[in-house]
Amino acid sequence: MNLKEEKRNDITICKLEGEITINNSAELRKAFDLIIKRNEKKVLADFTAVSYIDSSGLATLIEMFQRLKKIGGRLRFYGLDQKIKNIFEVTKLHKLFDICDTQESALKDL
Amino acid sequence: MFKLVNSLHFLNMNFSERIFSRLELIPDCIEKLIKKIKHLSLAEEELFDIKLCLQEALVNAVKHGNKFDTNLEVECSIEVLDDRLTIQVKDQGAGFDEQAVPCPAHTENLTKTSGRGVYLIKKLMDEVKYFDRGSGVKMTKFINKENSREPKRREA
Repeated sequence: MNLKEEKRNDITICKLEGEITINNSAELRKAFDLIIKRNEKKVLADFTAVSYIDSSGLATLIEMFQRLKKIGGRLRFYGLDQKIKNIFEVTKLHKLFDICDTQESALKDL
Repeated sequence: MFKLVNSLHFLNMNFSERIFSRLELIPDCIEKLIKKIKHLSLAEEELFDIKLCLQEALVNAVKHGNKFDTNLEVECSIEVLDDRLTIQVKDQGAGFDEQAVPCPAHTENLTKTSGRGVYLIKKLMDEVKYFDRGSGVKMTKFINKENSREPKRREA
């Protein structure tokens, strides 16, 4: 998994790439830690290049969602492949997370 | 890196892998197993589900079953018959009661960070049975669409 960050005004866009699994979720958590430490409250996770996610990856996203919520921040997702979108739906996490269809709508929503 | 009791047998679409309880051995193990079923012309979505369930079962076996004891092993076998693909994952731990795992899809449990692996297996596979007090799981995906309970994943 790779993660590249991009700033768009006060929004941090996390461009995720590859597979998010138990074998790299610690790396993702570390990147999220730094975002929280920098007190960045508007985070957009770009899933366009994510091919796979397991339950540990989902748990890391839940942690980030909770941490941002605690500091009054917001987390949005966009660019989910249909197979990954289905995993969010099966687990009902689409009810917890805000999943947007496009980057534009996600940015607007933040 | 992949120093393990690596047994790969072929017998009319029965094959197995055995790994010691180390998370870093799982991706390689999955890759080897998935390679063996690639020729089945499964839909991309089916292959995704099978890979994910395989991953969840192996992680649970290493983490919760064998409790990361690197002396203990996890065995995974796959059997392919005409209309079904059956995966069996067995660890050497004490087992667990899968009924006692709270449903992570319930509204009050949505923010829980555990229990989602077992849930995904139950939702994405067509038949799931835990055996030997939960130290093993046998999960089946019907690959003949007529017998499949598809689309399980889209159930409300």
